[in-house]
Amino acid sequence: MLVVRAVKQDDLDGLLELAMQAGSGMTTLKPDRDTLARRLEIACASFAGKLAPQQGDYMFVMEDAAAGRLAGVCAIKAAVGLDEPFYNYRIGTLVHSSKELKVFSRMDTLYLSNDLSGCAELCSLFLHPAYRVGNNGKLLSKSRFMFIAQFPHLFGEKLIAEMRGYQRADGTSPFWESLGHHFFRMDFNRADELTTLGKKSFIAELMPRHPLYVAYLPQEAQEVIGLVHADTVPARRLLEQEGMHYEGYVDIFDAGPVLQARIGELRALRESETAIVHTGRNETDAVALVCNGVMHDFRAIAAPVCVEDARVALSAEQQSLLGCRDGDTLRTMPLHPKKKSHA
Amino acid sequence: MFLVRPVETSDVAALEALAATADPVVHTLPRTRKAIERAVERSIASFAARVDLPADESYFFVLESEVDQSLAGAAAIFASAGASGAFYAFRKDVLQQVSRDLCISHNVHALSLCSDLSSHSQLASFCLRKGKEQQAQLLSRARLLFAALAPHRFSEKFFAAMSGTTDGGMHSPFWDAIGRKFFRMDFLEAERMIEGARNRSLIVELMPHYPVYVPLLPAEAQAAMGKVHPGGALPFRILSQEGFVPDEYMDIFDGGPILRAHRNALRSFSASMQRRVARESGAEHGSRASYLITVAREEKFRAVLADCIDLELSESVHLTDQVRRSLDVAEGEPVLCVKL
Repeated sequence: MLVVRAVKQDDLDGLLELAMQAGSGMTTLKPDRDTLARRLEIACASFAGKLAPQQGDYMFVMEDAAAGRLAGVCAIKAAVGLDEPFYNYRIGTLVHSSKELKVFSRMDTLYLSNDLSGCAELCSLFLHPAYRVGNNGKLLSKSRFMFIAQFPHLFGEKLIAEMRGYQRADGTSPFWESLGHHFFRMDFNRADELTTLGKKSFIAELMPRHPLYVAYLPQEAQEVIGLVHADTVPARRLLEQEGMHYEGYVDIFDAGPVLQARIGELRALRESETAIVHTGRNETDAVALVCNGVMHDFRAIAAPVCVEDARVALSAEQQSLLGCRDGDTLRTMPLHPKKKSHA
Repeated sequence: MFLVRPVETSDVAALEALAATADPVVHTLPRTRKAIERAVERSIASFAARVDLPADESYFFVLESEVDQSLAGAAAIFASAGASGAFYAFRKDVLQQVSRDLCISHNVHALSLCSDLSSHSQLASFCLRKGKEQQAQLLSRARLLFAALAPHRFSEKFFAAMSGTTDGGMHSPFWDAIGRKFFRMDFLEAERMIEGARNRSLIVELMPHYPVYVPLLPAEAQAAMGKVHPGGALPFRILSQEGFVPDEYMDIFDGGPILRAHRNALRSFSASMQRRVARESGAEHGSRASYLITVAREEKFRAVLADCIDLELSESVHLTDQVRRSLDVAEGEPVLCVKL
């Protein structure tokens, strides 16, 4: 069985291995030992409550205890854009109209914005290919919502997630080629790499400062605004199930959508509930997420359990994965949202 | 012989015929009878007006063949381009983008909608039906000689918008990349609806408020920036010789260049000479040259071309009876002359 847990100091080697597996597509998880070590240190300090809330970087790993290896990683940054500017394009509308000519043109525009500064961000999700089965992906991604539901005071008002934008089969981005390329004169990977190296200031320095009319872009580039990479479609759906949605902010490089939500409106905040654990068996197929309430040793699993009278039964193995004992308070939420009734 | 004179009410029908033969992509003549009548009336009123400061006067000139009194061309000059609203043009701005961290520095060109040219005087509506380069020179430059005679009627700065290139047909690649997206109509349809004007408030209602980044334009549109339509090559050359230069402005519709000059840079101002008229007897000696000659008065303005003995060192200009008749000047009266 797999458990998602708060990262620990001695996870560095395992993280490095995962990062190497992830390759260049992951901008916030580069296989660089020093960078990862620094991030790990911040994450451990965050879980220990030693940092100011907006500096928190909560990193989680998915552990295969039986095999003694890490199967995945994910993180929540408490606030983006407070040290380095955080840029997006906001899709705006400008109407150009002339009564005299009977022309009414509704034009979409791209505004370079820092509007999302201060939002918490879901990031750095990577699941080892060998573990991409069953509910593993859901557990890894959604465990973060359980953490937020358990410790909402650590976060501000809003949560965002940047989704990888659309790419052609050959890995090129039509949006980048039609826009950023003209201003950066370097390829997409290089530009993206520079942002992760903390060289974000160059964006402001080199990107067009004035709003752009979307109509200036070639048709192909216009059409991919707000579209995710084919591989990211399931991840997007998953976050949307949890209450996140696209509100017109996109990445300045590949126009991938930013999903966002008010934290209070997340499904985890509305539907999760606490229950007292006792040793026992469950007669159900309905899989739920279960997590403990210990910040520095946060743990979450996905298991078929049901909650009755605020009590939940777990096997001894499940209890040991969660590091809990009979009588402890846990938090649970159905893994899948209830089917919406279309009454 | 050809003569340039202010337009008269009796020219309306001939102007309408002239406009009908003009290529709509190249020429900005008024086209409908009503518009022509309006332009003629305005011109007559403008010539008659006592002007302290240039305002909405527009001076319309015609080129007349003295053989049959037919109209061979027309040209206008507006005292102030933005008198009835602002005159809109694209200004080519250079935005420098520097990243010290990355050691990258480059310049990005952007086009900004501006009204910088509103207070300039504007040369417009040049159209020549018949006649060679010399007649074109006469028609185009007579306007500027009039301005030199009556500088208080004009700004110190002049400009002329040249028509931009099309793809052989009626399509302007520059229009397709910018104007069409906002106007949602063909280039010629838009020109017709706006009557070739660049001073209508609907321009600011429809055209982009923010700078247009040149690198984002399709290659054909970029190539069309500042290019003159082949049909406009002659007026372009004449104005260049006169002292006009294309600089940072271009037309908002077709990207054609806008030529500009301060009056001190124009030959009509700096190289024109005032001389007294003398009768040519045929006995004068000296090397001869072609001159543009206009009467040195604001009313009953006339301009012709004439071959005269070099005027540099002379106090008078010897004109034949015919030229004096054409100009309606008597011996001893002053005329303004500039070498062709």
